[in-house]
Amino acid sequence: MSDLPIPVTDDADTGGFWEASAEGVVRVRRCDACAAVLHLPKVYCHRCGSWDSSWQDVQPTGTLYTWTTTYRELRPGFTPPYTVVLVDLDDAPGARLVGYLPGEPDLRMGMAMRAEFEPRGDTTLVQWVPA
Amino acid sequence: MSEAWAGRDATAIIGTGNTDYSRASGRSVLPLATQASLAAIADAGLEPGDIDGIVRCDFDVVTHNDLANSLGITDLTFWGSNGPGGSAPSAMVGQAVGALMSGQARNVLVYRSMNGRSGFRLGKGRLQATSGPIGGNGTYEEFFVPYGLVSPGQMWAMLARRHMHEYGTTEDQLGAIAIACRDRANANPNAQMSDRPLTMDGYHASPVISSPLRLVDYCLETDGACAVVITTADRAADRPKNPVYISAVTQAVIPDMQGGLASPVLMRPDPMLLPSTQVAAKLYERSGMGPEDIDVAQFYDCFTITVLVQFEDYGFCKPGEGGPFAESGAIEPGGSLPINTSGGNLSDGYIHGMSHIVEGARQLRGESTSQVAGAETCLVTSGLPITTSGLILRKG
Repeated sequence: MSDLPIPVTDDADTGGFWEASAEGVVRVRRCDACAAVLHLPKVYCHRCGSWDSSWQDVQPTGTLYTWTTTYRELRPGFTPPYTVVLVDLDDAPGARLVGYLPGEPDLRMGMAMRAEFEPRGDTTLVQWVPA
Repeated sequence: MSEAWAGRDATAIIGTGNTDYSRASGRSVLPLATQASLAAIADAGLEPGDIDGIVRCDFDVVTHNDLANSLGITDLTFWGSNGPGGSAPSAMVGQAVGALMSGQARNVLVYRSMNGRSGFRLGKGRLQATSGPIGGNGTYEEFFVPYGLVSPGQMWAMLARRHMHEYGTTEDQLGAIAIACRDRANANPNAQMSDRPLTMDGYHASPVISSPLRLVDYCLETDGACAVVITTADRAADRPKNPVYISAVTQAVIPDMQGGLASPVLMRPDPMLLPSTQVAAKLYERSGMGPEDIDVAQFYDCFTITVLVQFEDYGFCKPGEGGPFAESGAIEPGGSLPINTSGGNLSDGYIHGMSHIVEGARQLRGESTSQVAGAETCLVTSGLPITTSGLILRKG
């Protein structure tokens, strides 16, 4: 499956997420001053004006917010049908991550999900499966 | 109460133009833009040399200088661009309004041109041709594309499923929107779906592309172009056709909107809260109108669900009740709010929201192929959910 796209993992704002996933950990950016979750990862907190933030490990669990199953090939490497899930992180309310599942899995809104770690190229993707 | 918005009815659309719409135009994008522009300029009773301002969409491959050169314009004193993509058209009109009111231009041409089927197909996502690692530099695409989330259709499908979960919205209610747009296209000889009827059985027989959305929930892909000419209200009075006044125009974002393009919308605190709510509030404030004053609407319709949520956001029904409103008959001819009277993106052609402005102006001049009797006002909306913009037009 060499056609599958590889993420940029050395971006100044988001690289910490990929460093964590390579270690088998889910990590989000959080404001040091007011504890707001800065997701998608960013360094400036507009809620309190702080420039101080850091990466924080969170539990690799979440709940299913929504999903779609795609029946057309949109990009080489993703053979239809396949499903994209959107998962609310249990430890960081309001922060979500997407995941890929092959085929047409049996899913329910609000179901418990857990992270799995998929090696791809030189990096590791956080994926989500029913818990 | 704040004082009346200075722009209210201060400018007007005086000309509209469009090309044929097709799957393969057989020509490059510049002649499409030129053809639509010449039609709009002639419709305004002007010559290309009268145009001194041009506004484009940031996704257009034709630039202002390309088009000025093609049209033979020599005295161009204002140009601008807006985006991203489909959110632009109403905002492009807004830039023209600003240029006209500040005296930076006298006659502004606003256009959108694309070989959206035979050339670059937006429905496959903006990064379709990208090779190498994906994302970074504030795009955040590294959180989406590696997981197969590559297209706006998948994002809207996920919002549609969420809307169904929260409010009980049904496939039939989405189908009612697809059918309304198709019925209007069947009356429009220039529409790509002019001779293709759609029934509810046909809706359910349409293949699912990204669940729960079917092929007929998706807009078309189109080669074509649209343009309008805008001037000040006093100059508009001298034109051959009735002016269509711009009673209000605005753009909007929402708090914590996220950066990047479409997919990051899913990371908002509430992905169902869309910037159209803020455009609606500002349009009604600026125009002095409310939803009850709108006679006809051209809603941006990249997908049926996009229209359904706008019924709520623009105040035509309560939050969550876009589905029942869609199948109430309100959006049909003779209803309280006939919509997308040329067929919209779904069944007329996908000119990225620009055809909605052309059709809005034609409604208020009595030129529509599905004319709403006595229409005095028209709401026009542009693309969402990243940012959005909108217009309220009034018959002159």
